[in-house]
This record gives sequence, structure tokens and C-alpha cells, in this order.
Amino acid sequence: MKILLQSPRILQKGSPFHNKEKNVLIQNGRIQEIGDKNYSADRIVKAQGMLLSAGWVDMGTYVGDPGLEHKEDLESLNKTAIAGGFTTLAVLPNTQPVVQSKNEISYITRNNDSRLVQFHAMAAVTKNTKGEELTEMIDLHEAGAIAFTDGLKPIWHTDVFYKALQYLQKFDGLLVDHAEDQWLNMFGQMHEGLQSTLLGMKGMPRIAEEIAISRNLELLAYAGGRLHFSKVSTAKSIDMLRSAKKKLQLSCDITSYQALLTDEQLKNFDTHYKVNPPLRERADNDALLKGLKDGTIDVICSGHLPQDEESKQLEFDLADFGIISLQTMGSNLATLAEEVEWENLIEKITTTPRRLLNLEQPLIEPETKANLTLFDPERSWTLDDKTNQSKAKNSPWFNSKLKGKAVAVFNNNKSWIDKDED
Amino acid sequence: MSRLSQKHLLGIKDITRQDIELIFETADNFKDVINRPIKKVPSLRDVTVANVFFENSTRTRLSFELAQKRLSADVINFSASNSSVKKGETLLDTVNNILAMKVDMIVMRHASPGAPHYLSRHIKANIVNAGDGTHEHPTQALLDTFSIREKLGGVEGKKIAIIGDILHSRVALSNIFALQKLGAKVMVCGPPTLLPKYIAQLGVQVELDVMKALQWCDVANVLRIQLERQQIKYFPSLREYSLYYGITKKILDSLKKQIVIMHPGPINRGVELSSDAADSHHSIILDQVENGVAVRMAVMYLLAGQI
Repeated sequence: MKILLQSPRILQKGSPFHNKEKNVLIQNGRIQEIGDKNYSADRIVKAQGMLLSAGWVDMGTYVGDPGLEHKEDLESLNKTAIAGGFTTLAVLPNTQPVVQSKNEISYITRNNDSRLVQFHAMAAVTKNTKGEELTEMIDLHEAGAIAFTDGLKPIWHTDVFYKALQYLQKFDGLLVDHAEDQWLNMFGQMHEGLQSTLLGMKGMPRIAEEIAISRNLELLAYAGGRLHFSKVSTAKSIDMLRSAKKKLQLSCDITSYQALLTDEQLKNFDTHYKVNPPLRERADNDALLKGLKDGTIDVICSGHLPQDEESKQLEFDLADFGIISLQTMGSNLATLAEEVEWENLIEKITTTPRRLLNLEQPLIEPETKANLTLFDPERSWTLDDKTNQSKAKNSPWFNSKLKGKAVAVFNNNKSWIDKDED
Repeated sequence: MSRLSQKHLLGIKDITRQDIELIFETADNFKDVINRPIKKVPSLRDVTVANVFFENSTRTRLSFELAQKRLSADVINFSASNSSVKKGETLLDTVNNILAMKVDMIVMRHASPGAPHYLSRHIKANIVNAGDGTHEHPTQALLDTFSIREKLGGVEGKKIAIIGDILHSRVALSNIFALQKLGAKVMVCGPPTLLPKYIAQLGVQVELDVMKALQWCDVANVLRIQLERQQIKYFPSLREYSLYYGITKKILDSLKKQIVIMHPGPINRGVELSSDAADSHHSIILDQVENGVAVRMAVMYLLAGQI
């Protein structure tokens, strides 16, 4: 079948078509033509005003499969990712069992051939993500692990962190760190500040993140290697990273919602805003926006963390952390685009994560494989029981009207076009 | 009849000064009632109230129950020393089960901050927060400020020092809100590890030296050291706490003025307050207990007007 995308704005720095509105003809999983002609096609998508980029990548998606399939399994994750506009996911190792052997990696990746979305495994750095003993990282790398992280857990042990940085240098592996001092955050429920004081809740101070970042930057300078901090949240963290990036192989990401929400959202004890790192204050968010603009923040991730209703519909301090955000990330980006250029945002969800993870860069050129996302920044939609593809519903935007939606994705000789286009 | 601005009493933060004054005026009348030979009024006849306590409590539960009985309400009691979650039932299920028995009002104590707020989004019955974790304990703050008003003739402009474990205290937070709404000046005092880092942003003075706090204040509200709510060790020993933060009669006598001593109970005698101080003429601790019944009658009476 021939599919014609009519006049989307192509965003791919370095491409001759960058920032141009062109017609794109796709056939048999390949881009056949890019130009101004009205190519004949079986299916035409009127895409003027929409953005066409390489397929989006999520660097650090949580899935509960194996072990916690009731939260999200690989099948529902695939559907959710497609609806969100993703063609590639780097999946966190926090499953049960933890991703720490060839078996678990092949379980994650085994259906990639028949799937639109390609799942890649990030393997655990330490056994059972306990932060104590290193996993067999060379073997895991050979088996296809694209990065190493304890995922939602920090690597708290200084010497283990140091040795992981050293060990990964054999194959220039990437260490991804969730920077958090667990002692300072112990029993913490939300950002420590005026709001946590008013709500009588144990806070998670900024310094719990900043101490971990500062410590781990020192370790990186000492050990060498490549380090990526995931889900950074404070102004001072951004400042430290900005200056450290001048001399170290260093990168970082934030979640798409972090710069858009503050701890004031928690004043009614709504557990849907309970996330880790916690929602912070306006000044932090301003620093995150600055970091997005000046390139200190390399990647935007969804932070997708599905939780079943039983883990969220309860007392605040008993509720689990997390937001489902694969499907709403595009809407978050549309809001961020009021401050940050689209081409800058798109780079942080396509080219840069692929470069960090050593994944092939899809080109938007004729005679190449189609790995594409078509996104309409103006489209209104509602995340609700009908549109939600995740098994979980833990989104603060559930039943809310949103702006910005993925309209089509193409990858692996497969395509998905939003049914609203019919 | 004047009405409260809220359907529930979840916290002092949510109510107005007018609400507080209305509760006080109503409590004045009920205090007269409970000092009469016939202490009972029919105000809450045919109203069923459930006291749902997920955390241990003796005096608050007794005070509420007595207030309900004085108002002729039908009362049921539910206590679970462990959280309902540990028993496999969610808070919402537990409360909905109780409500299915046609209960009009829930008085709830719970270890989780915001638990009554969560409940208020899911059930129709009026809710009175009898303490939610380290968040608020509104009726305690109301009876504390009512007692200050009774003893000193008013709250406006008075200097109140809240001394002790501010970090784990729902009494402190509710008292700060209530006292500020009524125009008092508030100071908090305690070991630095037991003071929330951002407490000064609430507009209170912070003092680390108990003697200075006592010299400053008209009323010292001495808080219980909440050992049961401390999951992490915040100070080295009770011995050191009592030596450097404990209040004794000797200290009170050394002040150049008379101050009022309050305590929400139960007292750790010899820790935050020595026996001779607790039982001295400075203390209005037992007045607080008596006023607690009148204030809780007023709260439930006013909320029942909205059923």
C-alpha cells in the first residue's frame, strides 16, 4: 500500500529536507519519494501543520513484564508506545526477575521482528538492582543490552558505582544513573518545601539529588567512562551538569512533565502527582527550561511508570510513585514548545537518545527504511478509557482535554495511522 | 442558624476565622450545657456518627464519643490498631462498609496525611478529621485556642510558643493555622532536627532555646515527643531531651512573669514536662480536656446542620 503524507514539516537536522514542508510517499516500509509532487497513493494523510521526524525514542520506559504484568505487559506497552508516537523504547530492568541475564534480554526483545515498536533492554548494573554486586555486563552487552542502569533505583554504593564506570569502558558502555541519596529521601513523599510543610509530609529535599549528582560526577572524573543521569529535577543539578559537561562524557534527561508541574499540584493529596523525582518549584522548572534550550539537557524521556489502581487509589503515603506518560508526552512537548523550539525538542527524543544508545539513525530520505513519527501539535484529544492504551490509568491528565497527538508511526515495515484520519 | 463554610472539618487550613468564631460561640453554649445537672441535648437525635480510628487514641476518641452522646447522636466505634491495608481491606472499602449501615458522619483518625481529604472525594458523609498522620488535628487546635481565649480573654495579639517535636506534630500545624487566623503571634521551639526546615515560611518565629521561648511567650503549648511517629532517630536520647528541652516548675518559677502551660496529652511526665510543672497553677491541661468535649460538640452540631 502506498501512503502519502501531504506537506508535513520535516524535522531532521542535517537532512536536506529539514524544516521544509514536503510530500512524503511511503511504500512497503520504505520512504519512496520526498518532494513537492502530488504522488498517487492508496491512502493520503493531510499533514499540513504536522511535524514529521524520525521515530521517537523513549530512554527508560518501565514495563512490568515479566513479573508485574498487571501494571503493564509488553503487548500493552507496544500499543501505548504506538499511540504516543514512539518507534523505539529502551526498557528499564526493574522487572521481576530483574533484567540481568541473556534470558531476560531475549524475553524483552524476542518479538521485535514482528513488532512495530522496537524494544531494547537496559540491563541492571547490580544483581537484583540491590546496588551491591556487579552483573555480568560484558555478557549482557553481547546479548544486546544497550545501556546499564539500576533503573528506578540509585546505585548507592560508591565503590560499585566506580567499578561499574571502569568496567563498562571495555566496550564504551553507557551507565545510566537515577541520582538519589536514599537516606535523605527515606520515607519522603514529595518535594521538601513550603508545600510539604503545609501538608505535614516528609519531604524529598533537592539536596538528595544534588549530593548524588555531585558525588557521581567526581566518580566519573576519577574513573572515566560515559555517564547519563536520568530524570534530573533541580536547578542546582542543571548548573552542576552544565559545567561538568565541558570536561566529561556526560549527558542527562528530564521527564516531559517535570518542567510543567510543581509541588503545588499536590495540595489536595492527589496521588497522581506523586512521582520520583518529585515535582519541584517554579524556579527549578525555569532552570529545566533553560537547560532544554541551551543543550544541558540532552534527552526528554516519558518517565512512563504504570501503576495499577490498587497502588494509586489510596492514602498518599501508601501510594506508589509514577505517572503513565508515553501517550501524553507529545502533549507535554506541545506545551514545552511554547518555550523551546520544536527542532530542539525533537532532537532530544530522536537523534540524541539514539546516539547515546548507539542505535542506528533513521534518515528521512528517499530509498530508506521508514522509521517515522507524524505528530500534530494542534490536535485536541482526551486521554480516557477509550483512548488509553496502557493497562494503567495513573495519569493526572486522565479525562482531561489535551493538545498535541501522534497521528501516525512507521517502522519495521509496519504502520499505524490514528483512526481519526479515516 | 449560622453555617460553617465547609461540609467537612478536614483541617484548620481550609476554614475561615468566621468559622472558628462560630465554633467558639457554639462551644460556649455547649460548655454551659455540660456543666448543668442534665448534660444532654437532643441536637443530634437520629444522626449516626461512626468513630473510625486507625490509630490508637484514648482521649480524643473518648472526647468525641462523649460529645456525641451529649448531643444524643447514635454512636458506633471502629478501631484498628493496624492499618486496614495491612489487613487486606482498603480505607475506602472499610469506610464504605460502615457507611452502608447508614452512617451520617465519620470521625476519623488515620496515620496517613491527607487520608480524610482522600475520603472526602469519595464519600458523601460529613467527615471530621481527628488527626491525620503528621498533617492536621483540627479539633485539638480549636480546643487549644478556645482554652487560650477562655484563660486570657482573647487570642488576638497573644504570644504562643509551641515547644517540642514540631516535625511530627499535627497539633503544631493545626495550632499554627488557628492561632494565625485569630491574630496571635506564634513561635516554634525545639531541637533543630524536630523543626521542619521550611517552617519559618509559615510566618512563625523559630527559637532553639527553650528559656528564650518561655521568656517571650504568654502561653507555652508543650507537645508530646512523638516517639511512635518517628521512623528515623531525630535526637540521641530522652534523657538529653528532658535535660535541655524539658520544662520544670523551677524553670517556670524563674521567669519574671506568669505564663500558661498547655499540653495536648498524653504527657510523657519527666520528658517534655515535669510532674510539678504539669500539675502547677500554670497548667490548664485539664481545662483543655473539658473544653475538648464542648468544642467537639460544637463542630459536630454545626456540621450536622448540613446533613
